[in-house]
This record gives sequence, structure tokens and C-alpha cells, in this order.
Amino acid sequence: MRRFVSWSGHAWLALPARGYLAWLFIAACLHKIAHPASFALDIATYDILPVVLVHPLAIGLPWVELVAGLALVLGFRTRAAALAVSGMLVLFMVAIAIALAKGLDLSCGCFASQALEQDPISGWTLVRDAGWLALSLYVALFDRNPLGLDRWLVVRRQNG
Amino acid sequence: MGKPVNQRSGLGLLFEGLGTAARDATLGVIGCGLLAVAVNAWLHPNGITLWTDQAYEILVPCPEPGGEVTPMAAQDPRLDDRASFLVDARSQVAYSSWHLAGATNLTFDYLDPTPDEAVQGLARAAARSRAERVVVYGDGEDPDSGEQLAREISARGIKNVFFVRGGAQALQARAGSGP
Repeated sequence: MRRFVSWSGHAWLALPARGYLAWLFIAACLHKIAHPASFALDIATYDILPVVLVHPLAIGLPWVELVAGLALVLGFRTRAAALAVSGMLVLFMVAIAIALAKGLDLSCGCFASQALEQDPISGWTLVRDAGWLALSLYVALFDRNPLGLDRWLVVRRQNG
Repeated sequence: MGKPVNQRSGLGLLFEGLGTAARDATLGVIGCGLLAVAVNAWLHPNGITLWTDQAYEILVPCPEPGGEVTPMAAQDPRLDDRASFLVDARSQVAYSSWHLAGATNLTFDYLDPTPDEAVQGLARAAARSRAERVVVYGDGEDPDSGEQLAREISARGIKNVFFVRGGAQALQARAGSGP
């Protein structure tokens, strides 16, 4: 297992995973940053959080998504970004699971604050998010010398 | 410092550095939160308040009725001919207050689908009247209950369904009476 964990090819395998996750999260956050009121309504509709937490989450979460996405693309603090993405995905999955258990019929608010038929939640939403979580955990655990700014900084430190 | 790399187990190697990554992630989240609050407060044209204690009125959208329907203007002369079977989608109270002559009341409920027996009764009544089309009018709001009911009954098999743009408000204006 040691050889597998320390295999240098993980950096290359993780690259498309990083790019895909980055694209997902950056695409998802832009509408939420532009329309925080609409995103706040989506969060409130899940009826999980106390109302006082709805606005802070609606304001802050999209920016975390944006910065995590950019960090994955640039390869800067890559493992930290992947951990943040994993944490967010776990949160989303818990919220969706609770909504499904309650029998709520609502948009997941993932990509737009739009009506049910545009982005309905179902068990497949959980499966989809689990797939993304697997990708982000792979990057967090195995991409130990990521391509990008992190590697450039390490080399620079070693040469300097 | 820990063991040298070549002495660490695979699992130990796997989780090596995760503590630092978790620390960086936490600091990053806090930083993003502060940035978000600042942008929302000072730069965002559509910023929201950081705190609210007012509960949201949560409207969980129902599945949209999906049948094909045709819009009809309130001035359309077909509204007055015998080939149109008229349906009023508003509440019983609104219907009792005013309705087009000959219109049948079938109240549209945004939360529950129209009962099967009501749709079947409508279809039978339209067939008995030998109408060529079913014309639905509602409250004319956005969304319009008339259009919603028209789509629902169209999706459930009734053919040639129209809805009146502007609903009862437009029809009353046409008739010259107030809303």
C-alpha cells in the first residue's frame, strides 16, 4: 500500500479530477454569488437550519465554493481545497438526505434557484454527490505533490 | 517529525499532511467568509442582510402541469360561440361573485392535483355540450390559475384546451365592468 500511496502518477490522475470538481463548483457558485436572496430562499426551503443561520450561509458558502474551485485549478493548497470541497459535499448530501426523508419536493438549489423541474432532487442526486465526494477525497488523500502552484513553490523553496 | 518516510505504514503515509491541509482549509473557509461578508456589505448591488430572524414563507413548488395549451385573448370572439366550453378556475367565492355566462367552476389548487372524478366530469360535460374547444380562465395573476388548470387538464387527456390571457380581470374589462 505504501508504494501505491507514494506513486508519483497520482498527481496526473488527480489533475482531471481537480479540473472537473473546480468547474463544477465554480459554475455552481456564480449564480449564488450574484443572487444571494434567491439562494437564501433555497436554503430556507430545506427547513433544516435555524433562520438566523440562513443568510450567513447564503452569503459565505458560494465564496468558499469559488475559492476552493480556483485553488483546485491553480494547484494551490490543493489538498486543503479538496478537503473543503469534500466537507461541502458531505453537508449537501446530509441536507438532501434529510429533505428526501421528509418527502420534500424541491429544487436542490445546486446550480440555480429555479423551479423543481429544472433540478429536482432524488436518490440519484445523492449518488451523484457521492461520486463527486469520492473524487475530492481521492485528491485530498492521494494528490500529495500536486501539479500547479504548490509544486512550483516547493521547487522554488528547494532551489532558493 | 514522525518516522522516516520509508518506515511509515501505507495508512500513515496516506494521512500524512492531512492535519496541515485541514488547518489550511479551516483558515481558508474563515477567510472566504470574511471576504463574502465584506463584498455583500459594501460591493454587492443585490446584497442581503447578514442576519434575519424573519421566517421565510416557503412555497414548495408542485410539479408543473405539462399539457399543451393555446393562449386566447380576452377579446377573442370564440369566447361567445357555442363551440367553446367555458371553465372558471377561480375559487367558488370568486365564481359566485362574477363569471362568464355558461362557465363551469373547477377551482385550481396549487398544492393538490385536481381529482380524477372532477376532470372526468369536466370531459363528459364538454362532450355533452358538443363543444369543439375547452376555454379556461383564471385569476390572471402570475402564475395564472387559468393557465395552470388548462395545462393540467390537457396533460390528463382533454384536447383543444385554451386559456384566456389576463383571466377574469381581462374578461371583466372586456365586458365593461370593474374588477
